[in-house]
Amino acid sequence: MVYKDDKHSFMQAMKKKFEEAPDKKQTKFYVYGGYKQNKRKVEFHDAGQQIAKERGIPGYNPSVGMPQGQRVLMPYQLSHTDIIANMDDLHFVNNAAMQQAWDDMRRTILVGLDSPHNILEKRLGKEVTPETINHYLEVVNHSMPGAAVIQEHMVETDPRLVKDSYVKVYSGNDELIDEIDSRFVIDINKEFPADQAAQLKKAIGKSMWQVVRIPTIVGRVCDGGTVSRWSAMQIGMAFIGAYNLCAGEAATADFAYAAKHGSVIQMSDMMPARRARGPNEPGGLMYGVVSDCAQSLAKYPDDPARHSLETIALAALIYDQIYLGSYMSGGVGFTQYATAAYTDNILEDFVYWGMEHVKDKYGSLAKQKPSVKLINDIGTDVAMYCLEQYELYPAVMETHFGGSQRATCISAAAGTSVAMATGNAQAGLSAWYLACNVHKEQMGRFGFYGYDLQDQIGAANTFSYRSDEGLPFELRGGNYPSYAMNVGHQSAYGGIVAAAHAARGDAWALSPHVKVAFADRSLPFDFANITKEFGRGAMREFIPAGERDLIIP
Amino acid sequence: MTYKAQFFPGKSDPSKNRRKYMDPSYKLQKIRSVSDEDIVRVLGHREPGEDYKSVHPPLEEMGEPECPIRELVEPTPGAKAGDRIRYVQFTDSVYFAPISPYQRSWMYSYRYRGMDSGTLSGRHVVEARERDVEAIAKEIIESETFDAARTGIRGRTVHGHALRLDENGIMFDAMQRYVFNKSTGEVQYVKNMVGEPIPAPISVGKPLSEDELKKRTTIFRADGVTIRDDAEVLQMVQNVHWERSFGGFEPYKEAKF
Repeated sequence: MVYKDDKHSFMQAMKKKFEEAPDKKQTKFYVYGGYKQNKRKVEFHDAGQQIAKERGIPGYNPSVGMPQGQRVLMPYQLSHTDIIANMDDLHFVNNAAMQQAWDDMRRTILVGLDSPHNILEKRLGKEVTPETINHYLEVVNHSMPGAAVIQEHMVETDPRLVKDSYVKVYSGNDELIDEIDSRFVIDINKEFPADQAAQLKKAIGKSMWQVVRIPTIVGRVCDGGTVSRWSAMQIGMAFIGAYNLCAGEAATADFAYAAKHGSVIQMSDMMPARRARGPNEPGGLMYGVVSDCAQSLAKYPDDPARHSLETIALAALIYDQIYLGSYMSGGVGFTQYATAAYTDNILEDFVYWGMEHVKDKYGSLAKQKPSVKLINDIGTDVAMYCLEQYELYPAVMETHFGGSQRATCISAAAGTSVAMATGNAQAGLSAWYLACNVHKEQMGRFGFYGYDLQDQIGAANTFSYRSDEGLPFELRGGNYPSYAMNVGHQSAYGGIVAAAHAARGDAWALSPHVKVAFADRSLPFDFANITKEFGRGAMREFIPAGERDLIIP
Repeated sequence: MTYKAQFFPGKSDPSKNRRKYMDPSYKLQKIRSVSDEDIVRVLGHREPGEDYKSVHPPLEEMGEPECPIRELVEPTPGAKAGDRIRYVQFTDSVYFAPISPYQRSWMYSYRYRGMDSGTLSGRHVVEARERDVEAIAKEIIESETFDAARTGIRGRTVHGHALRLDENGIMFDAMQRYVFNKSTGEVQYVKNMVGEPIPAPISVGKPLSEDELKKRTTIFRADGVTIRDDAEVLQMVQNVHWERSFGGFEPYKEAKF
């Protein structure tokens, strides 16, 4: 930790954000022209006036709110990219890439083919061959977007509105995959480095699975709970059509269950009644799943820090900006909070410093046995390093002007570092809580009430696995008891899980199926370059799915 | 043996200051005077001279039931009178403000009765009966725990604690409730806690020097003293973490972990 070390990765962003040198403690206020210093806010102002005139109801009008821009309205650099974004363009409402990231996760469901194939052969006397599978895939790629297979005089969806809907397959059986039309295949051998591909194929085995993407527009108009229903209906119709099945015989009931529901992996669990969300909604998303959706490790296999940071970026969007920020709360404040985790290379600097510190001190990653001493040593070292950067570089402190932003980044860095040292996410979680205490005591302050409550009690269940006491970290998620309002935490929780497994050289954290499903080049959102995609969204360069221009004047 | 509170570990200045402010037997040093009327104006809950609004009759008129707790606990003046609950909130700069939110909570808990405190990263709110709030606010604003430049009295729009300072070393306030008077070198409040103009500027005195702030602060910082420099504090932090971790329902035993 060298003071004034220009190698800090946040330096470039700091120099773009502020006129003054990053280590200067003083600046000027109230002299920047208010909101007019920011082109997007000027645009908002002008649009607000026009809208009010047209609709006859007052709307956006900054003069009735707290005057914006009495200090510098900072731009934000998307971490590990050169993209500089306007702050407003990182709200998910203003960012099509962010919307699509969640759309692509919510509209995905994985459905096994082995059970229906068994019933087709054993109960219904049908032959299943690579040729019949190819034929079925052609039919299901017709039906999944919303087209008719079995009945005449049917309403159908306009294929231009649902062109993002399709079905692909994957398997650990290379011979079988070789026989399948490559247009329908996610090829594990092509999408992953050899050692990761070998792990994934071994875990998936000989079975064959479908990756189903229902139309983005359906996920949006309905909800995550619709995904399994839409998928099931179209799969059922496709099987009946492709294999000429009877629509009425008793065996069809068994077959329908096997084909639609018998082996299904949803992206997230249903929420309890008090939070009232179906499956494939963000509250039920486990940290292991969000880590597996991120694909950085396949592209950068020797960089567990990047994978962790990319997972954090994705998780910040889904848990903080979308779930806690809108499903559970509503409004705009959560964006400012969440962006701290994936902009300006601040957390980047912290996480890489932590990883290098572990390598320097212990020689390698994922070789240390978790212990009180190890967690104390690494957790304290990394937390202190992060605190020092905030304290020695006032520009960094101002960038993360909320205590919760700093708490996220400090604790995330401590957690990922210990996770990478040990290959154990639970140990990483313990370091998170230790860093919270270090932060609180050093600064005499911490985060918002959520930190001051949950992070004072969270250590008590870190090492508990038993039901009602705890869970392996990979299986915890937004609905884990004291995490339900943990704003700013869950992004890093995903990153800690990712860090543990990436450091071990694991190809996935929780589910090899999810990992393969998102190594899919047909998805509009590129899960291997998450911050870059957010940046493209902010620059208005990202082309999303689910648009309805076709059906409006 | 009578338990003697230790308040806080450590040998560094921030540790000593934390102990000092928490210890109710230590009288906070008064470094400025602000009139009762001006305290009322800055708080903005009522006009100076205006009656307190009440939420119930005075306790002595209420005919309270027999209750050992009521006998044991002396009501605060505000509770006796039936005042409504009001608040005062302070924002403390990270740049060596004399006190920071956690220490406020701890200090208030040792020093004041009948109050409820809320601790956030930049600010700290304390709620109590209105006349009790006024008394707390007066003691705090006049004391060494308040600096004209690095402490703000803010009911809303509280941001600024982590921003760089202005050219006069003053903490940012989006509502510009206070201004630096260059001719006197003093900070003057021109708006109340929630940003409403007040009739005449209220001076809270001159900012303390950087050296003086560093002597008085409870904040550990890399450009001051860190908790690493104070071994007992760091040890306490780690102990707290492990006591919490292994005090869980059915955790792994430490020896096996």
